[in-house]
Amino acid sequence: MHVFLEAGIIGISLGAQYALLALGFTLIFGILGVVNFAHGGFYMLGGYVAYTCVSGLGLPYPVAVLIAVLATGALGWVFELLLIERLVDDHLATLMLTLALYLIISTGVLAVFGPISMEFSFPVGGAFRAGPIYVPRENLIVLAVCLIALGGLWLILFRTDLGRALRALADDRAVARAQGLHPRVLFPLAFALATGLAGLTGALVTPILSLSPGVGDPVLATSFLTVILGGLGSLGGAALAAFVVGIVEAYTSVYFGGSIGALVLFVLVLLLLVFRPTGLLGRETRGA
Amino acid sequence: MNEYRALLAAAICIGVGFSVTPSRAQDCELKIGSMGPMSGGAAQWGLAMDAAANLAAAEVNAEGGLKVGGKRCHVTVVAYDSKYTADGAAAGANAFAAEGIHFIIGPVGAPEATGIKPVAARNEQIAWNASYAKDALMPRYPLMFHMGPGPGAWADSVIKEALKYFKITSVALIAPNDQGGTDIVTVDEVAYKNNGIKTSSEYYQRGTTNFAPIITRLLAANPDAVDTASSPPGDAGVIVKQLRLAGFTGPIGRNGGPGTAEILRVSGGLDVLKDFYWYEAQPPNTPEMRAIDEEYKKLLGKEQTFGTSMWSNLPGARMTLKAIEVAGTVDDVQKVAEALRHLPVNDPNMGKGVWSGQAQFGIAQELMFPFGVGIIKDGKEVGVVRVEPKL
Repeated sequence: MHVFLEAGIIGISLGAQYALLALGFTLIFGILGVVNFAHGGFYMLGGYVAYTCVSGLGLPYPVAVLIAVLATGALGWVFELLLIERLVDDHLATLMLTLALYLIISTGVLAVFGPISMEFSFPVGGAFRAGPIYVPRENLIVLAVCLIALGGLWLILFRTDLGRALRALADDRAVARAQGLHPRVLFPLAFALATGLAGLTGALVTPILSLSPGVGDPVLATSFLTVILGGLGSLGGAALAAFVVGIVEAYTSVYFGGSIGALVLFVLVLLLLVFRPTGLLGRETRGA
Repeated sequence: MNEYRALLAAAICIGVGFSVTPSRAQDCELKIGSMGPMSGGAAQWGLAMDAAANLAAAEVNAEGGLKVGGKRCHVTVVAYDSKYTADGAAAGANAFAAEGIHFIIGPVGAPEATGIKPVAARNEQIAWNASYAKDALMPRYPLMFHMGPGPGAWADSVIKEALKYFKITSVALIAPNDQGGTDIVTVDEVAYKNNGIKTSSEYYQRGTTNFAPIITRLLAANPDAVDTASSPPGDAGVIVKQLRLAGFTGPIGRNGGPGTAEILRVSGGLDVLKDFYWYEAQPPNTPEMRAIDEEYKKLLGKEQTFGTSMWSNLPGARMTLKAIEVAGTVDDVQKVAEALRHLPVNDPNMGKGVWSGQAQFGIAQELMFPFGVGIIKDGKEVGVVRVEPKL
């Protein structure tokens, strides 16, 4: 019984990490219609910025996380404004641009920090234990940040003028423009919000797992899998799917082993694409 | 105007003079390849391979170049990141062939060894894999050489040394679910069973970042010890960290590729690692081994940070260049291979070794030197003991 409970706890922890990753990814697609192949790069960069702040500058970890969010958000803003914005309606061009940015980030990190993993640990260690059941404290913090990020994002998108404007642009860009909304101002903000979220996830999760130039690679695959399951562009869908993916991965890995766990997830997505191509909460079409 | 022309002519003469000077000192250039995973969790192994190739090249260059026939050749190293995959290694061999490179120091992993063998044979390339694959060498690929033996030659010694420090009656092994994992775990299991230890094994998809669910499954068998086998050092570090977080207090072993420094870095240090035993390619901290790192710094101008794998790859790289010198050709690869097979195994740093592999692979093209077994007990490094290979 304790194994069953433990798997559930691990599943929720994994789900929180995946939700943080998927939110930014789906935000960019939902509002700009851009599939951001550089998402893993911003995750990795967030980790390295936080590491540099803690190990190089001696800053407290929470400050390092904040700087990582601001740095990745700023880079995303500049990247959207200078490059993506010019070709935002050309899906192939934006795909190549974001892929190129990912390669630049990962190669840059490799050149500066080298290929070896950094010694970077989460400042809060240990776990709450009740017999054989344990909940790592670091996972609870990630879960709390995930819930706050979800709530914050919901507030921004559904309770502010900025959110209304972004949703209007996502629904029908031409009509939104006619109403006086400016994509050139709003799109970079949305992009910065999403890349800042990726940076936040990197700063939080890499000290729990590991930090090396390759850590961005699996992030893209996980984000893709999660948002396809949730419905590309759907914020609620991404969050729901992230916890579904986390829990399915945990239970299948615990009861059937690591190889089967990965396989089950892909089969799940395949079945969903066959029977419900829009994903769990996705819409049939997007206006942008 | 004439003054300007005279100045221009002088400048061109000086420029040409400078550009010609190096080629006068050495008559030709020899490119060799280095191959292995140079990014990702196993990067340390690939970079160690590249570092060994670079040091061997720097050694001959410092002597004025490699003697080939009547010429002196400057040796340069071209690196290729084969990403621990079969297709990466095959593509790397073809990329080297396109550059006219016929001597490859690498690759590292079992999938890479599988990928490179047929391609290198077709391209007439000598390659040195360091994998622990069951078919690391095959008689039908006579241009393939092996940097050192797999766990079949040393796992028993590692386990026996570990049993002096830790009580182990059962062990759970964990490794990737490809050939780089399964080939090693199955051999390790036999070694554990021969020492009266019960085994169970778990495999994971390469690219897994969070091992918590697999660790829950692993610990459900309640093993005394966990062996990270051939999991890349980056993965093994996360596994160690999550094992300790899950409350596992038993010893953790590593009957796989070296990488203790990386495991220590990722897991959080000696306090987290606590009780650990591992295979080491060579006993470190001997004057001969320290001399390699000193020479690396002297010739290449930087610290050798790739761990002990670099040491064990160096003899193969040195012997390849020596064989080219003995054969007196860079073009006749078969002649170089024949010269290599007849070279005595006697490395300036590693000492005397032997050509082995006949019994396991049917072809004696594997280098075998004394190796080490490392122990960490109660968060303190006990040290690495030297073990003579059983021939």
